[in-house]
Amino acid sequence: MLTRQEMWIKWTLYTLAVLLLTLAFALTLRGARPLGVCFYLPPLFVGVVASLEGARAGAIFALCYGAVCDLALPGTLPCVHTLAFVLAAMACAVVAQSLFQPGAICSAVCTLIVFAVFDAFNMLALAIADRAPFVTMLSITLRETAVSLPLLVAVHPVLIRLHRRFVF
Amino acid sequence: MRDFFARHGVWILCATAVVAVTLSVLSYFSATSSVFHDAVGVVSAPFRAAGEAVSGWFEDKRRYYESYNDLMEENQALREEVAALRADARQAEKDRAENARLRELLDLRAQRRDLVFEAAKVLEHSTGNWASTLTLNCGTKHGVAEKNVVVSSEGYLVGIVTEVGTNWCTVRTIVDTETELGAVLFRTGDVVVAEGELALMGENRLRAVYLPDDATLLIGDYVLTSGLGGYYPSDLVIGTVERVEADDNGYAQYAVLRPMVSFDDLTEVFVIKEFDIVE
Repeated sequence: MLTRQEMWIKWTLYTLAVLLLTLAFALTLRGARPLGVCFYLPPLFVGVVASLEGARAGAIFALCYGAVCDLALPGTLPCVHTLAFVLAAMACAVVAQSLFQPGAICSAVCTLIVFAVFDAFNMLALAIADRAPFVTMLSITLRETAVSLPLLVAVHPVLIRLHRRFVF
Repeated sequence: MRDFFARHGVWILCATAVVAVTLSVLSYFSATSSVFHDAVGVVSAPFRAAGEAVSGWFEDKRRYYESYNDLMEENQALREEVAALRADARQAEKDRAENARLRELLDLRAQRRDLVFEAAKVLEHSTGNWASTLTLNCGTKHGVAEKNVVVSSEGYLVGIVTEVGTNWCTVRTIVDTETELGAVLFRTGDVVVAEGELALMGENRLRAVYLPDDATLLIGDYVLTSGLGGYYPSDLVIGTVERVEADDNGYAQYAVLRPMVSFDDLTEVFVIKEFDIVE
């Protein structure tokens, strides 16, 4: 059981790691558009943290991070990140605790879940507004996931190392 | 796990609902940007600017070594274009003088275009695949407001301001799916609607719809803002016709437009804060 101080240190380190990784990717991958889409990082962080930290902590992280994303990034709905990330984090926790042991494969599966839920919300928002055909939206979802998922190679080792520092 | 959902799940979902509703309500009712949006925008602006500057520097270096031959070819093409444009400009000067004389004879008001600009730097380019946006380093304290038009340094249309904070604003580019502008085909004078489309957004293209049945489009035709309704200035170049395609039903045609600006390369733009145009 972690003390309150250790909890603060752990989540501060998670926050710093997310910020640094975001900055590093922004510096190196800006403007890159493989398969015609750009890399999208936020679902990776939510998927990995939820798979490592479990349902409660994962969902609270997803709630805070989703709210920050909604305030800082454009979206199809004003609250799309908040809603999608929390629901996806809960689903990830179920997967991580009942189907897989936390690890690289588990993180990959959880990230896929986050992308699926997040893009489902985006597709729904655009479909309701009648702003895009379903096939186009599905194509973007698949390409965005295929392009962004390999970045787990950089994200997962950093976050799992942090997680292991605080597991007794 | 079942225990977790019984004890905490409902509370977390309630908190999520509260946050989501708050964000939506603030976004809907706020005339510029909500307090929270503004705070995050103000705090993140220096970091976005620093990130953009560093990545821009790397991009410049990469291009410097990569594109020498392309630049030579482009230089040659531009020299030829400049010669042709100079000839056009000489003719235009004569036409302008003649037009002024004729307007005077007909007792019409003199044409004028009074535009008030605010220069701005691009802090951040689009980070997602569902919207095409730019973040600029000017906001309410510079007199920028929602629905202001943004143009490049050459005067080409870039997009519309959709959200404004104290020292930042978000611009939806013309290829974004929310874009819908009254437009006119320069050569034929046909009035059309220029709109963003998700499939074309990835290629940095938009389309012109509601083409007249007898429209005769040529590749390279200019499409300009119509200015109808007075919301946006007229005669801003949106782009050129790249190809003409049939819609999904096969009944109507639309033109795919190539914007005059490359959004990824934009570093400086101008916000039109006010305009007064007499045509």
